[in-house]
Amino acid sequence: MSTQIVTRRRFLKITTAAGFSALVAACGAPSAATPTSAPAAAPTAAAAAAPTAAAMAPLPAAPAAGPIDLKAIGGLDALVEAAKKEGELSTIALPNDWANYGEVKKAFLAKYPFLKHNDLNPDASSAQEIEAIKANAGNTGPQNPDVVDVAFVFGDSSKKEGLFQPYKVATWDSIPASLKDPDGHWYADYYGVMAFEVNTAVVKNVPQDWADLLKPEYKGQIALAGDPTGSGQAINAVWAAALGNGGSLDDAAPGLAFFKKLNDAGNLLPVIAKPATIAKGETPIALRWDYNALANRDQSAGNPEIAVIIPKSGSLAGVYIQAISAYSPRPHAARLWMEFLYSDEGQLLWLKGYASPARFDDLKARNAIPADLLAKLPKTDVKVGIPNAAQIDTANNAIKTGWPTVVGATVK
Amino acid sequence: MAQLVRTETSQPAPPPARRSLRPSWAWIGVLPFFGFVAAFLFYPALSIVVQTFFDRERRPTLQNLLDLNQPFIISSYVYTIELSAVTAVVGGLLGFLLAYAVTIGRLPGWVRSSLLTFSGVASNFAGVPLAFAFIATLGQLGLVTQALKSLGISLYPSFSLYSFWGLAITYIYFQIPLMVLIMAPALDGLRPEWREAAENLGASGWQYWRQIALPILLPSILGTTALLFGNAFGAHATAFALTGGGSQGNVVTILIGAQLSSDALANPGLGNALAFGMIVIMTATIGLYTWLRRRSERWIQ
Repeated sequence: MSTQIVTRRRFLKITTAAGFSALVAACGAPSAATPTSAPAAAPTAAAAAAPTAAAMAPLPAAPAAGPIDLKAIGGLDALVEAAKKEGELSTIALPNDWANYGEVKKAFLAKYPFLKHNDLNPDASSAQEIEAIKANAGNTGPQNPDVVDVAFVFGDSSKKEGLFQPYKVATWDSIPASLKDPDGHWYADYYGVMAFEVNTAVVKNVPQDWADLLKPEYKGQIALAGDPTGSGQAINAVWAAALGNGGSLDDAAPGLAFFKKLNDAGNLLPVIAKPATIAKGETPIALRWDYNALANRDQSAGNPEIAVIIPKSGSLAGVYIQAISAYSPRPHAARLWMEFLYSDEGQLLWLKGYASPARFDDLKARNAIPADLLAKLPKTDVKVGIPNAAQIDTANNAIKTGWPTVVGATVK
Repeated sequence: MAQLVRTETSQPAPPPARRSLRPSWAWIGVLPFFGFVAAFLFYPALSIVVQTFFDRERRPTLQNLLDLNQPFIISSYVYTIELSAVTAVVGGLLGFLLAYAVTIGRLPGWVRSSLLTFSGVASNFAGVPLAFAFIATLGQLGLVTQALKSLGISLYPSFSLYSFWGLAITYIYFQIPLMVLIMAPALDGLRPEWREAAENLGASGWQYWRQIALPILLPSILGTTALLFGNAFGAHATAFALTGGGSQGNVVTILIGAQLSSDALANPGLGNALAFGMIVIMTATIGLYTWLRRRSERWIQ
């Protein structure tokens, strides 16, 4: 049940072509990938998240969901016209340096210049995005996000809470079944592998594996890219560390123990790593998704020199999802955004940022990926753990609740 | 000498301000201020206290306060109190010496005026600009760090800007000037005649300080140190800017932010209880400051 050995190429293959459900249904062989397993896994995650939902104050009733696909709207031209009337689109938590979102946003706005873009809180965590939907329910102002890009675990729980509205993009059928909610409430956008991003101007001896991070030479040099009580990237860094330290996809506790050791050794910094802190040398070793790290490496163009390492003993794959808020004041602009993201153009923009898009295999089968772009994709031979929805839910809860008590608030 | 002190104590209070029977229109001038204080100080503080005792369903509860009894919260309070105490004592001591140097240390007048002007600016130089200034000087790739490195002295890894002492140095930067600003008038209050009188009676410099100057200044020094403690205890922006939100919230103010800014642990009740704990500590600190200040002001009239 633990990790399986895949190369990055093979990982792309199993998670898209054959094995969409390597992500949802199984931590094991691609043979476990059957379309029926996706709905079966879904209720587990939703049920586990239900108590949290019940604890919240009731939200106002969401407006009725609109047309569920392009045909119901009357085609792309009708959608563009409807979006033009709304005139605005509010996105949240889309940093320019994340999965090439800077270029994605720019290309979208160039194509639909009549839309005013409200780029809300680009550094928000997934949990904050969900809170933003709840806090702005019923609000029609620009501060109410129309669309969200959240960690996989928020898909079914938020659907259950009634926070998403269904919409199936034109390319719906080419999204692997396990990477989408069968009713269209959410759909995976891209995924990557947890990596070490190292500023080699500060760190001469680049760490190759989890155990290396404990060495005294990395004192005060290692940082997470978020708060492990709320950020998907940080939670997955802790979980990935578990895989390299005797844990498994079912047991994230060794990850917490590892970070406690890291903290006690004085190696862990209480600083949130971002491209700026990495460039400044303030967080010389950052634990980030490989696509963020690789894009940052390209962007900094040698100033400073950045190395991206997938830890030798194993790492973790993580999926993010797209959804339209049930309370979106501009639902047509939101649908237009989704149509753009899931068009070949949008998918290739993500791939350009090293994030493997949901429709990767479809693009590849149709030879829609430029050869130079394909050649740039990283190849690794390390073990990559691919969790299913239930495992994601369990590990997320274990890490976000365990972090303050096991690792402690006072980082040395 | 003791006699002299006693005489000073029994000095009559200034005559009470003349009172008019008609209501004074001057009150209208301060009404906006009182309105401001009520809206932005008393109301938020009261709301924190009230909400500490309610749960999410608006039922009365003590759970929020009981939740404070968790290792990571206690260690966070201890850390913040230690940080505040250390920066108050170190900043207070250095600030006092500086203030002494420019008031009765016979330095040229322009030193005094420029130091006080600088202190006025520096005591307000906190938050984001201060954090970045320190990153640029003492960070891993900071100017001073690199300069020392080229001389063969390497600050890192034994020093880190994000460690306790790194944060303390950053805080002390705005603590010293605050001490200077508040202590300078107190030192001005030391009348030269006291020293002359003491010397005429044969006191040495040490005796003068131990038996006259320090007893007079002590309430003022302690009071201002208490204020510095409160100043550091309530600081948020500097620590936040330094750590980018600090994934591990080692300072109480950042921990409160983490509870309120709706990440996965979000618990507004606990956030309110944390803030309530801070209000208690701050009230005690400011109370101590006011009491000590009042004692010292008797001498400075």
